[in-house]
Amino acid sequence: MPVTDSPFWNPKTETLPREQLQALQLVKLQHLVRRAWDTSPFHRRLYEKASVTPDQIKTFDDIHRLPFMTREDWMECQAQKPLFGDMITRPESEAIRYHLTSGTSGRQPLRVLDGRKDWSWIADMWCYGFWGFGIRPTDKVFFAFSYGSFIGFWGAHYACEKMGTLTLASGNMSTEQRVKQIVEMGVTVVCATPTYALRMGQTAEKMGIDLKKDGKVRRIIVSGEPAGSIPAVKQMIEDMWGGKCGDTAGMTEIGTIMIFECDHQPGGPHIIEDHFIEEVLDPDSGEPMAYGERGERVVTSFGRGFMPLIRYKTKDLVCKVPYTTCDCGRTGDIYEGGILGRVDDMKLVRGTNVYPRAVEAVVREHSEIEEFQIILSRRDDVQDEITVKVELKPDQADQWTRLEGQLQKDLAEAHEGLRFNVELAAQDELPRFELKAKRLQDLRPQY
Amino acid sequence: MTNEATDLLGNALSADERELVDIYTRLKALSGRDDLPPVATANAKQAMVLMWNACNDLALICEEPGCD
Ligand SMILES: [Zn+2]
Repeated sequence: MPVTDSPFWNPKTETLPREQLQALQLVKLQHLVRRAWDTSPFHRRLYEKASVTPDQIKTFDDIHRLPFMTREDWMECQAQKPLFGDMITRPESEAIRYHLTSGTSGRQPLRVLDGRKDWSWIADMWCYGFWGFGIRPTDKVFFAFSYGSFIGFWGAHYACEKMGTLTLASGNMSTEQRVKQIVEMGVTVVCATPTYALRMGQTAEKMGIDLKKDGKVRRIIVSGEPAGSIPAVKQMIEDMWGGKCGDTAGMTEIGTIMIFECDHQPGGPHIIEDHFIEEVLDPDSGEPMAYGERGERVVTSFGRGFMPLIRYKTKDLVCKVPYTTCDCGRTGDIYEGGILGRVDDMKLVRGTNVYPRAVEAVVREHSEIEEFQIILSRRDDVQDEITVKVELKPDQADQWTRLEGQLQKDLAEAHEGLRFNVELAAQDELPRFELKAKRLQDLRPQY
Repeated sequence: MTNEATDLLGNALSADERELVDIYTRLKALSGRDDLPPVATANAKQAMVLMWNACNDLALICEEPGCD
């Protein structure tokens, strides 16, 4: 069989019977926990505190003995021992990539390092997803992506090079230039956030370009926002582009994707289970949820050597259903409807994580400000906007001209360059709170 | 290094799988040497991590290759 006829990137493990898949996960888990214990003081501390040792991981269910790891723990460890904390398993000098994501509070970002092998593995996970959604070496793949410090589609770019597609980067282009190049080059696959895929579609319309007739795009691969698994949003994207839209999801803490939609699109993405253990747990009790019940994603990743990720509480809300929901032959289970939302207050704005308390920490650095509100809205049905409205102390009105630019700059710096609108509110315009403050309004339509 | 005769599931390695593991092992050895010119070492490391992916994804090995 010619290699391109394989529907799977890795037929051997993507179709493993479940009991063998779990046996494989156990072997990998045992190695991972042992390595974390031996090389990461952060993990050794965590495990000693929980009185658990690597040799206690004898069966798959023993994973429940391992304590959870949280983003707060991680950030705390980085704050205690800048810049990377004591969870890195190798000397910093052996890393080849540095990326970051906005923090949960204040200005400190979450920082990640990858070694040469990690970076290659990161690309490989995207290969599972791209190949599984029908991308082949003959495709021309366009990345509508900024290629900055945010990890985003970086791994996917290298995945496409590895697979042998023609790979088009567009970091410095305007939306108009991107649309033009997609048509001119006969691009067959476009990668973007769902919001930006819609924006490019709208821009094409304004330019008098009918992407369905003038373009050759047959696949749109989206990532970075839960909207990618919302049928109505997908339909809008497909109507604009004339190609099939498939969702993927990943996170900076993993460095790559852990789920992707296969070509059969059974209503949710498959989990890459030979590289990840994805547990779905009750966010409060930590008890496992049954198939079909919503709970919090807790991930263990076997791939990133520099920073072991074991039972990491993601705060993503998901609903797992068995692999048999899809008839593609993969035995990786499925997250029905993709990432459904959050169990905390994090918001996604144009692919960037925004925590209200991190915004507050930046706003509160400016003593001239008395009260504020964060408003999320959607412009022209597609473009997410984040606006911080501030009310100054009565005697500070003359500070606004200076403060406006400074606040915009500080907020952007704390959020991977995300553009914030900053507006001045009139005296006493904003609500005041006595108990639980509600300083965030999400006015975006919910699908 | 796991026993090269079987994969992580205990299955005997096929001839193709043995060849993949063999190439990976040789590249890893080259990557670890400090007496080669930069052009050889750096490219051997790049090639080695790509082969690590093939062997790791196929459940033939379970290890960190241990080079920068
Ligand atoms: Zn499937």
